[in-house]
Amino acid sequence: MILALVTVCDVRAEEIVVIVNLAAATISKEQTADLYLGRSDAWTPIDQAVGSEIYVEFYKKVTGRDSAQVKAIWSRILFTGRGIPPKQLRDSEAVKKAVAANPKAVGYIEKSAVDASIKVAVSID
Amino acid sequence: MVFKVTPAIAAAMLALGTAMAHADATNDSIDKYVTFSGFGTLGAVHSDYGKADFVGNVIQPRGAGASSWSATPDSDLGGQANFTLTDALSGVVQVLSRQDANGQFKPTVEWANLQYEITPDLKVRLGRMVLPTYEHSDTQNVGYTLPWVRIPIEIAYTDAGLHSDGVDVLYRVKTGSVTQNLQVQLGRTPVDLPGVEFTSTPATVVVFSDTLQYGDTSLRLVYQKYDGSGFPEVRLTVTGAGLTYDPGAWFVMGDSNYSQDKYFGDFFAWYVSGGVRLGRFAPYAIYSTTHSQTVGTSGLKSLGNDHTEAAGVRWDFAKNLDTKLQLQRVVLDSVDDPASFSDVGPGARIGDKTNVFSWTLDFVF
Repeated sequence: MILALVTVCDVRAEEIVVIVNLAAATISKEQTADLYLGRSDAWTPIDQAVGSEIYVEFYKKVTGRDSAQVKAIWSRILFTGRGIPPKQLRDSEAVKKAVAANPKAVGYIEKSAVDASIKVAVSID
Repeated sequence: MVFKVTPAIAAAMLALGTAMAHADATNDSIDKYVTFSGFGTLGAVHSDYGKADFVGNVIQPRGAGASSWSATPDSDLGGQANFTLTDALSGVVQVLSRQDANGQFKPTVEWANLQYEITPDLKVRLGRMVLPTYEHSDTQNVGYTLPWVRIPIEIAYTDAGLHSDGVDVLYRVKTGSVTQNLQVQLGRTPVDLPGVEFTSTPATVVVFSDTLQYGDTSLRLVYQKYDGSGFPEVRLTVTGAGLTYDPGAWFVMGDSNYSQDKYFGDFFAWYVSGGVRLGRFAPYAIYSTTHSQTVGTSGLKSLGNDHTEAAGVRWDFAKNLDTKLQLQRVVLDSVDDPASFSDVGPGARIGDKTNVFSWTLDFVF
């Protein structure tokens, strides 16, 4: 019973970090917000599953917007033929692989998932 | 030669994209080359005014009024295919079904163009593109992208935000923290002008637009010039300016345009709107108006004049879905083709007030 309560009340306390390829220049928090709201094409943004805890937390902390607002912004870009929403990957392992393979890729993962295959650009608190 | 996009050409572009996808589909999924998406709105509008029909956009011939409840002002459905042919070459085709000038829901091709990326900041497009006349004009049919039920109709009075067939160049330049999105477009378009029941006089249009973005603030400036020799002759320029501040938890925005037409005269339209976000609810308010400024060679005066106060709420109740309720009061400042109405009857008087209730359900997929 108590275990169930703990699970239900589990609030994500884990830090999220924005990661880039080892060979890439660094990106700022502001540039990350611009990238994930479709205001910039300088890098290739990668998303985690839409609506997942890390997705919701990332967008709230970096852009101040919730999932529906983000979807509306990307829908505007999609339905005017100007671009397609960021590719969604299954989990942080997949995101790390994709970022390690593409010098232009940017992703976000839990701080605990960081390893030597990628580098941290921004720490979101 | 006029590059005319027909459903046949659109289908050919779609077939090309799908053929390329099949050709390389052995190792890569089709998603890499073609993605399908769509949108729609289901709406119902109630108006208490019996002397004219309340409409959802300026080309609709009928709406809510005589029959008091109507689903035609806002209901629509759209489908789109995006295809990536190479790293630099992509294309899009979008087909839309919404009540047209003949009162039918015949599907039309809204977008059908190829885009070539010279650099990530410099792109050229060839084909059909919707004109960027006013804020959100290019997604006016995608309810899910709008904070309100519909774009305040007054801002679109002199231009139905139609598409043009031609070429455009998009250039993005960043100076410090300010990003400028410049656009130059040249094409052929049918033009809707006020005061007449839908005229499709083809016109050449040239557009210059600059959107300056600084964080959550954006300033949009646009200049358009239409030229067409038909009856009536089209010599129309539209100059627009709009400002938006949207940090996420709330927003405030305004848009305006000044139109000058040789035949119909000058018009000034504008609106201001604000809203807040409270969890999944986003209430908002709008004040919008259009007012004719001078009389053109037609001699028609006061075309389009009306003003509207509206308030509503958007509820993002589920993924990819939202529903909205909007209440508005429209005041007739003219009986000559007031912006919010069609089919104005002989009993209409300046000062008549109309209460309109609108409900919509928007979806994207």
